[in-house]
Amino acid sequence: MSEQDRPPLFGTWRKAYAFAIATFAIEIALLYAFTLRFS
Amino acid sequence: MNRIDYFILIATILAIPLYGLWRTRGHPSLGLYLKGDASIRWGTIGLSVLATQAGPITFLSMPGQAYESGIGFIQNYFGQPFALIVVCAIFVPIYQRLKVYTCYEYLGQRFDQKTRLLGAFLFLVQRGIAAGITIYAPAIILSALLSWDLNLTIWLAGGFVIAYTVVGGTKIVSLTQRYQILVILIGMALAFGIAVHRLPADLSFTDALSIAGKMRKLQAVDFSIDPSKRYTFWSGILGGFFLSLSYFGADQSQVQRYLAGGSLRASRTGLLFNAIVKVPMQFLILLLGAMVFLFYQFEKPPMFFNQPTYQRAIERGYGPQLTALQTQFDDVFTRKRDTIQAMSTASAENSPALTAQVRELDAQARGIRDNTKKILEQAGASPKSKDSDYVFITFVLHHLPHGVVGLLVAVIFCATMSATSAVLNALGSTTAVDLYRSLIRPKASDHHYVIATKVLTAAWGLVAIAIASFASLVENLVEAGNILGSVFYGSILGLFLVAFFLRNVRGSAVFFAAVIAQTLVLVLFFTSSIGYLWYNVIGCTAVLLFAWILQQTVFRNTQAAAARQ
Repeated sequence: MSEQDRPPLFGTWRKAYAFAIATFAIEIALLYAFTLRFS
Repeated sequence: MNRIDYFILIATILAIPLYGLWRTRGHPSLGLYLKGDASIRWGTIGLSVLATQAGPITFLSMPGQAYESGIGFIQNYFGQPFALIVVCAIFVPIYQRLKVYTCYEYLGQRFDQKTRLLGAFLFLVQRGIAAGITIYAPAIILSALLSWDLNLTIWLAGGFVIAYTVVGGTKIVSLTQRYQILVILIGMALAFGIAVHRLPADLSFTDALSIAGKMRKLQAVDFSIDPSKRYTFWSGILGGFFLSLSYFGADQSQVQRYLAGGSLRASRTGLLFNAIVKVPMQFLILLLGAMVFLFYQFEKPPMFFNQPTYQRAIERGYGPQLTALQTQFDDVFTRKRDTIQAMSTASAENSPALTAQVRELDAQARGIRDNTKKILEQAGASPKSKDSDYVFITFVLHHLPHGVVGLLVAVIFCATMSATSAVLNALGSTTAVDLYRSLIRPKASDHHYVIATKVLTAAWGLVAIAIASFASLVENLVEAGNILGSVFYGSILGLFLVAFFLRNVRGSAVFFAAVIAQTLVLVLFFTSSIGYLWYNVIGCTAVLLFAWILQQTVFRNTQAAAARQ
């Protein structure tokens, strides 16, 4: 495997996508908590 | 603006491209000119993708949007992370494996030459016009508020971009965007800090958020399924997904950003970086708008932010009507401010009554502003963009310290330059690779194509400036840009989705399906009142459906012939 096509820090791309989705889910949860607190 | 502001403005907008020109000096090959080199890593790609999407309208209009309607607009970005993951998993590996310069080259390889040309043509028409609007929109606002000559502002924003994009190609676009977006983020963070600092000293940040929330400005997530609501969680996830998939997967101005450097790992990591940071970034920009709204609850705002238009109506004899409205507005402002101050120190039992009173006064203030707009229209002084587009820049020019004002105006210019350079780079590359090289001069030298791409990039720059010069004919600029994108994006995305997922469909079927779908969208656009975001879904679905039907019926023989080969 060439240097430029190495998998990401997370080992596999599937794990990287899961990390992105988990982060997004946390962002939405925080935004919803913000909405509940200040509305 | 004083001398310090002008110094910071000029130094910022000149220094970044000059550094870029120094870094990209020399005579690049076609591959280097169109895709950059391996020195472009994921961080640069990530910031470059971010800068291409966040044009000047983002930084001028978004805070104003939150000022008017709250931060619910954030939900429009909820579909983007999913779209970016689909682009990473499906689109990027194909583009990188085939080593294409433009995404429309892939259509040529998967289908045929006419489908490739159709994809490129739809992109060129849509992005060519959009580039003009990207230059014109900030120019009209800045020239109005700073009394600059409109054409000079257009040339200042557009001329310099053309020069450095032509000279440096993709590498200079990526390099300059990296620093331009950093200037933008620093400028916006400073504006946020100052907006919070300028709130009354006895009001804590939490109290400030609490007041903004009670005035219905902080509803970030709305799970309502009411279709009449403009921004909800569900419309953001579904509509935002289709729009983002078209934009990141099939728009060369973005594809060229993440293919820069030629590494699959860098492309994917740069896109995933965007999937993670986009929502928090937009949230902070919208929250800045909410802070500006709060600031103007204690400091009297202008009744109409677009002051040049307001003054024009007074000159045309509408002064008495506007003065009467101004008196009402001043009275409502004073009562509202006093009620908000009482609300911030009120006991729990008095709070609901005061909240209701503030909301009522806020509705009255909005009603007076609506009446003002009607008088301006009667006076024939109808503005070219929404009044909310002038909110943030008015706050910057009147309430931020010198130096920061220059930096914030530089932010608008940086956003214009970064978005325009990416689009010009893509327009020049697509015209050179998909039209000139494939139709006119198929077997010329590498050097010849570099020169051709440079000439075509410059030509598109001049077209964008010409469109910007005539854009005053368009009534609402921001809306015009969004509508234009939605009218064409669906069909373009449809071409790519057929390519990926309907393996038995051949060139002629998808070509005619896209032509029919695009005609259908244009007919609907001119004859119906469907919300423009739906054109993305209609165009894309129509291409998929018609392509499959045509392949099964009219072009059935081409499938059999292909199978025999």
